[in-house]
Amino acid sequence: MLNWFKRRRKDDSSYETNEEWIRGLSAPADEKAVEQLRDKLIRGLKPALHKYVDRELDQFVEDVAQDALLKILDNIDTFRGESKLTTWAMKIAVREGLTELRRKKYDDSSIEDFKYPNDEGRDELTSLTFATELPDPEEATHEQMILRKVLRIINEELTEKQRRAMKALMMQGLSATVVAEQMGTNRNALYKLVHDARLKIKNQLELEGVDPAKLFNN
Amino acid sequence: MKITKKVIKKLINAAFNSHEDEIGCGKCFDKLNKFAELELKGKSAAEAMPLVEDHLKRCGECREEYEALLEALRAVQG
Ligand SMILES: [Zn+2]
Repeated sequence: MLNWFKRRRKDDSSYETNEEWIRGLSAPADEKAVEQLRDKLIRGLKPALHKYVDRELDQFVEDVAQDALLKILDNIDTFRGESKLTTWAMKIAVREGLTELRRKKYDDSSIEDFKYPNDEGRDELTSLTFATELPDPEEATHEQMILRKVLRIINEELTEKQRRAMKALMMQGLSATVVAEQMGTNRNALYKLVHDARLKIKNQLELEGVDPAKLFNN
Repeated sequence: MKITKKVIKKLINAAFNSHEDEIGCGKCFDKLNKFAELELKGKSAAEAMPLVEDHLKRCGECREEYEALLEALRAVQG
């Protein structure tokens, strides 16, 4: 019975279950499995990425599918079966495509600032000024005080790396993918770096008695 | 560089909304396929996997990837 299915599979190329997919994509991979998956990835990527790509969508999507396929085949043994295999594969392909687009956007942009980050950093954050025009002087003073506290924490309690990351992400609004690559790290580590910085600021502000509910409520 | 009220507000909000148990982009990505399937089946993915939901609210790039993944899956589902 099992043999019959195996033989039949060679003629009928439609892969359905995770078991079938895993067998087809494990080395040596079945060409038909790879082609069927490529088709599916391309059909998914086109509508998912079209709003980000202004020209040659077809070529871009085909390249992304190809790069994603290599990753999928390389990592097929890490698939843990928590979803359909094709959902897992699509996830890898979508990230591949968006990562590529973020890199491209950065390469095409003229954000010189972050490309030479060593020229600045601490000094610039120390000299930050707060642009605000408030009618109520008392409120303005209160805000200035909070701002000074926040700047002090940023400049004295955070590490150079944390300052650089927060500036790039929160003030310049740069892509986390790009910032991570520029800093020689990955997005996960960058997230953790900023997470620790956020917690530090929070704890310090709480220690200094700053009540978030009373802040900037206008 | 001038720091605007908007930026400082964002920073303070982000700080006060921080939690010890947040997950990072790596763990979020690990679970994203399961999360997306729950969502497409009309089950409450957010309730079943609150830490993933939490990360998606905080992290623009993971959210962008999640939304694109849903779009892709809907396209191949039919
Ligand atoms: Zn993330």
